[in-house]
Amino acid sequence: MKIVLGIKWVPNTQAVRFDPKTGTLIREGVPSIVNPHDLDATEFALQLKDKFGGRITAVSMAPPAAIMGLQHVIGMGVDDGILASDRAFAGADTLATSYVLAKVIEKIGGVDLVVFGQETIDSSTAHIGAQVASWLKLPYVYYVEKLVNYDEKKKEIAFLRKLEDREEVYRIKLPAVISVAMHSQKPRPVRMSYKIMAKLENPIQIWTNKEMGLDPRCIGLKGSPTIVGGITWTPEVPRKKEVFQGDPKEAVKWLIDKLKEEGVIPF
Amino acid sequence: MSFDPSARKKKKVDCGKLCPEWECRQPGEFEGIWVIGEIEDGQIHEASLQMLTPARNIAEKLQTWIEGVLIGGDKEALEKAAKEVIYHGADKVRIIYHPDLKVYSADQYALVLSEEAKRVKPEVIFVAATLRGREFGPYIANTLRAGITADCTNFDVDMKTGDVVMIRPPFGAIMLAHIKTPTRRPQMGTARPNVFPIPERDESRTGEITWIELESIPQRRAFLEEVTIIPQTELPIEKADYLVSGGRGVATKELWSLLEELAKEMGAVVAGSRKAVDMGFIPHEKQVGQTGKTVKPKLYIAVGISGAAQHTFGIREAGIVVAINKDPEAPIFKASDYGIVGDAKEVLPLLIEEIKKLK
Repeated sequence: MKIVLGIKWVPNTQAVRFDPKTGTLIREGVPSIVNPHDLDATEFALQLKDKFGGRITAVSMAPPAAIMGLQHVIGMGVDDGILASDRAFAGADTLATSYVLAKVIEKIGGVDLVVFGQETIDSSTAHIGAQVASWLKLPYVYYVEKLVNYDEKKKEIAFLRKLEDREEVYRIKLPAVISVAMHSQKPRPVRMSYKIMAKLENPIQIWTNKEMGLDPRCIGLKGSPTIVGGITWTPEVPRKKEVFQGDPKEAVKWLIDKLKEEGVIPF
Repeated sequence: MSFDPSARKKKKVDCGKLCPEWECRQPGEFEGIWVIGEIEDGQIHEASLQMLTPARNIAEKLQTWIEGVLIGGDKEALEKAAKEVIYHGADKVRIIYHPDLKVYSADQYALVLSEEAKRVKPEVIFVAATLRGREFGPYIANTLRAGITADCTNFDVDMKTGDVVMIRPPFGAIMLAHIKTPTRRPQMGTARPNVFPIPERDESRTGEITWIELESIPQRRAFLEEVTIIPQTELPIEKADYLVSGGRGVATKELWSLLEELAKEMGAVVAGSRKAVDMGFIPHEKQVGQTGKTVKPKLYIAVGISGAAQHTFGIREAGIVVAINKDPEAPIFKASDYGIVGDAKEVLPLLIEEIKKLK
């Protein structure tokens, strides 16, 4: 099975702090990581490869530093990586980003399955999977949890996905695009030997727009229909903000009294 | 300032500047608001009805109509859903029917809806960001080469241009981004379930229902083979009146079981922060916050949750918020009504005891 894995190199949101005066992100010193939900996708793709053989190519569109993200998933067992990286790609919204990724996948050619994570921790739109599927005119299944079966002859694969109150099994004709549900897998650790190989054998290619040859009107800011018109503070919800600090017994009594006053004791 | 509807016609797009893979469309040709209605088990999804709330607000500002759009292959269910959509505030409903559309399939539904949108030209399309909405919504947007903004918490109109302003919290939820699509129609926006209330149901409302009976549809490539309904043992967190919610500060087996005991004694449902999900204490559907759910219980008790904007975003509609946290500086105290500075290990057993006494 020829698999493409889409990953994003994101700021570690756990480490991000906001400037309390301006509300803007303090980016200095914030380490970047592979979007954690993409590691579920990576694990999922690796299990498919373990079972059915084939090859996994990780792709990403990002500045050159994201090469570390590709090295990380290669360290987990992914075969190689392609980083679409060019100043001309910058400022892209999800439409323009998915366009570049779709063109990378087309250029790779002969891909059976494209695997994404459910969403990213830095924007959580969950758009890219669906949009890449649309550019490539492929079927798309979101929120995949488990492989059910793969019929290599018929080129069909069946997956289980769990919605809130139900499990659904979808059989899809390949090629197809899927997104893997977050927290649905236990991503395997990075093996140093793979990572060292990744540095020695240099399986990561960087494709600029010279290699890609995309129309400048379709990429970056120009290829993005949405614009950010402004930023405002999230309005604060008025709350009483009464705080009890002291003896825990007293504190609990105080709280119970308050809840009684408010009429929010359940019985 | 009110919107001058003739401003729509003034918008001109220079086709030569557009990506050749985008069909060039003049924004002035587009009018009306679509709300796509998701039908599940023969019923209109509540989250779709909720989208009629922002749609009404925008329709009034743009002085235009709301058209509910349904797709499917079961005439009876479609007819019934169409009525509900009208009772809840749509001015009219468009039903796209083909017998083979009985079962949902993301790309097939998206392609059919995209074709109809190309023909009808609505200026706005709203989709509820349910799991299926998150699947077919961006697929439609991309097929139309339209802009789409996910998980909006509010919508407004730029009265000068008639552009819809899609308001969403970028990551962190501390600020709100105002996103516009000035040169492209339709403009698409989604909102997560429960961000907006369901408009009041009024059976006296009427509206035209247009049936579009398709002769052929794109081939199906994703087949729903099996559905297993999982019996629900408790209310989903967005429907619970009482929630006890845990975070990093109670992310140990011992403390978490105390939290569960408190919930049990109170008849509350257990929820949690993203940390609680990451550490495997709760599944994602019990996560409160920007990347989880918006909840509106009468009482929300946050234990060991620091209260990052990302989390408190999900409790802005909650009644009374209680916080228990060791750190007196934790931001959760600024987002709650009553706070106890203390160790969950000490406070929880005492609270459980007191609650037992009350019963």
